[in-house]
Amino acid sequence: MTNDPSDKTFRPNRRGFLGVAAATGAASLASGVLIGTAATTAEASEPAPSQSADASASTIAAKLPSPVPGYLSFGPDEAGFVELMVNVMCPADALTPGGVDCGLAAYIDRQLAGAFGKGARLYMRGPWREGKPELGYQLPLTPEQFFKAGLAAADAACRKRNGKAFSELDESGADRFLHEIADGKVTDERVQLASWFNELVYPLFEQACFADPVYGSNVGKVFWKAIGYPGLPAIHSQDMVDFRGKLFPGAADPKSIADFA
Amino acid sequence: MATRLKHRTVVFVGGGFTAALAARQLTAKGVDVVVLERGIDRTHTAATSLPSQRDELRWDVHGDLFQDWSVQTYTLRHNDGETALPIRRLQAFKPGEGMGGAANHWNGQTWRWSESDPVLRTHLENRYGKKAIPAEMAIQDWGVSYAEMESYHDQFEKLFGIAGTAGNLRGKVQEGGNPFEAPRQNEFPQKPLPITEAGVIFSEATKKLGYKPFPMPAANSPEAYTNPDGMQLGQCQFCGHCERFICEANAKASPEVLLYPMLRKRKGFELRLQTHVLDILYDRKAKRVTGVRYLDLVTGEEYEQPADVVVLSSFTMSNTKFLLMAGIGTPYNPKTDHGVVGKNFCHQTMSGTRVFFKDRWINPFLASGASQTVIDEFNGDNFDHSGLGFFGGGYVYANVTNGRPITSRAVPPGTPKWGSTWKKANADWYAHNFTISAHGSWYPHRENYVDLDPTYVDAYGQPLLRMTFDIRENERKMSVYLSKKIDEIAKATGADMAPPTAPRKGPYDSRVYQTTHVTGGTIMGSDPRTSVVSPHLQHWDAENLFVVGASLYPFNAGYNPTGPLGALALRLGDDLNDYVARPRHL
Repeated sequence: MTNDPSDKTFRPNRRGFLGVAAATGAASLASGVLIGTAATTAEASEPAPSQSADASASTIAAKLPSPVPGYLSFGPDEAGFVELMVNVMCPADALTPGGVDCGLAAYIDRQLAGAFGKGARLYMRGPWREGKPELGYQLPLTPEQFFKAGLAAADAACRKRNGKAFSELDESGADRFLHEIADGKVTDERVQLASWFNELVYPLFEQACFADPVYGSNVGKVFWKAIGYPGLPAIHSQDMVDFRGKLFPGAADPKSIADFA
Repeated sequence: MATRLKHRTVVFVGGGFTAALAARQLTAKGVDVVVLERGIDRTHTAATSLPSQRDELRWDVHGDLFQDWSVQTYTLRHNDGETALPIRRLQAFKPGEGMGGAANHWNGQTWRWSESDPVLRTHLENRYGKKAIPAEMAIQDWGVSYAEMESYHDQFEKLFGIAGTAGNLRGKVQEGGNPFEAPRQNEFPQKPLPITEAGVIFSEATKKLGYKPFPMPAANSPEAYTNPDGMQLGQCQFCGHCERFICEANAKASPEVLLYPMLRKRKGFELRLQTHVLDILYDRKAKRVTGVRYLDLVTGEEYEQPADVVVLSSFTMSNTKFLLMAGIGTPYNPKTDHGVVGKNFCHQTMSGTRVFFKDRWINPFLASGASQTVIDEFNGDNFDHSGLGFFGGGYVYANVTNGRPITSRAVPPGTPKWGSTWKKANADWYAHNFTISAHGSWYPHRENYVDLDPTYVDAYGQPLLRMTFDIRENERKMSVYLSKKIDEIAKATGADMAPPTAPRKGPYDSRVYQTTHVTGGTIMGSDPRTSVVSPHLQHWDAENLFVVGASLYPFNAGYNPTGPLGALALRLGDDLNDYVARPRHL
């Protein structure tokens, strides 16, 4: 995980994010219902800087929930791939922490380990034939199996192209490689990598960002705060008249399932 | 061997919207009714309780209320020359499962179709000449007129508490309503929903262009409402969780709220949940059905339910499949153009653009499933089609139903798909854009049909239904036309950005949601050679078999299908009362 000092792939951290956030005045991060045990993270245990801006950033960092550590589906190599991928697709910036700290890797892992990954609600009878793209997914692999087959193929292609594993690339190299996959420029003999990325990986990434935090990502509702989605309970019969065409104040402090559980 | 159960009067196959409305009429007269439904009753479950009701991932992305594709899906090919493959996770439309069916997870957009729709072929021939209708366009009249259905529309709107502004009251066009509306005898039972910010912008733009915008007729209740049966709706909370969700506030008129709880208290009504119907039992010589065979999903046992009357009231696809499986009626053959079962399969032709406004707060999350603002100038035959090369059309609307962040978020075109720029674009534009769409008709084409797949089977070992289906020239041309109208309106909004609308093109794509309005397969009409059921919805080849659902429509209009379906289902209930009292060809 990200707070493992031996993990050389992890660059952006929560403090980096909050440093920018504090500088740009995104004070709303301090509000809302904050749960979790972020105090156990490496950066939070660093000595607090004495300067007030940084000090308040650290205080906020200590209050941000952490994704639950540990994986159910990923092995170490898969975790390394996915962690770099989500940190590149969601870099720490003024809006959110990096992807791993947002719980994006944890989300993808849990989805693949759970009903979705095991092929729930997916018609899985043969015969199996290749079809036009408009007919949708036609492989006898569960989404979890396909995710891993694609990841291995992408990693092999990365070694061929860049001389190292994906998790060893620097951020700009990793970003470039992901774009090349999405654009169909990286091919594999057995796996259609563009379809793998665009139709399985990317939807999981988007869900990870914007799903309710109950699924293990979007920690502290950072993505909802970033875009101004107020979340639950959404009892808006009067709001809909009072805030027609106006900034909706509830958007600054979204509520999620956990807040009502 | 199936255990043979005690004989019943009327058995319904499928416990959704139409079964409940028809059963309401039957049980009111004391007729014995049993409804077989494969799913469960979701009242007081996670689907209908806060906070779990608001779970976009579960109900929308993963589709927990929809038909389970691992159990039963459909196969698709674009033409007769291809081998159909199963759609392993269908996105294009969303059949429901459970008491209330797909009408539990609808948006609530409730139209009466045009006065000319039930007589579409006659109308178009009169206006444009017989030769104007292409040979491959198999449109036909329903055999029942709008005037005959009007009182049922009225009754349905009162039962469901539809909110709207009348556009044509007894022939007089009303300010603020739809000037193209078929004449209604009465006002809507409820005042229209309040307008959204997107609606305000859309209204200004369309008025500038000389059109007449009006509020979408809505089954989202603007206030607490008690219907003529004494059943109640709560007030809509504009939570943005209508379509794909069940309303936990009971504010969305649906069978699960208004009909089944009442029916289940009525004497002579029985709902058997988690029963999957396998076959309709047909006596070919007698030209009668004798009942149905079903699997009790809870016990794993098979039962035969004998009945005087069988009503197919399942989703469009299943109604057709049951007839094909039982060999009732001649399957449609596109090569010879003979046969009827499976013909005139249609969907909906959707297209739209996003308009982006830096300085206006659209707040898409302050919306309900039908809180939209609409124009109807380009629907049906509301405009002159001379020289256009197509028939049909659609309504154009400011289409905000929700701000659910996984699926409804949008960024301007050209935004990278991830990274800080992507995040910032989401933050900048999430609350500042909305969709202007066309909800377009889909007219039948001779080569679009459904039959039984020769290869693939469902979890019960029965063949899947096969779609031979594509978007043909008529719909492609219509979509180009409607998309241009959308772009003109988008421009008139003064949006900071309004990328051009992409018209619908082939091939038909199972991965992209359009609407859940698939129609046809068991179409109605007054000629047994070209229809499956009579205008009274009675099967031509089995007097005691009736069919109800969107499978009846000989074509799909540019309107949502629910309004006339409600009217047809109530009328069927009255016809069934008549039939049960004196069985005959109605």
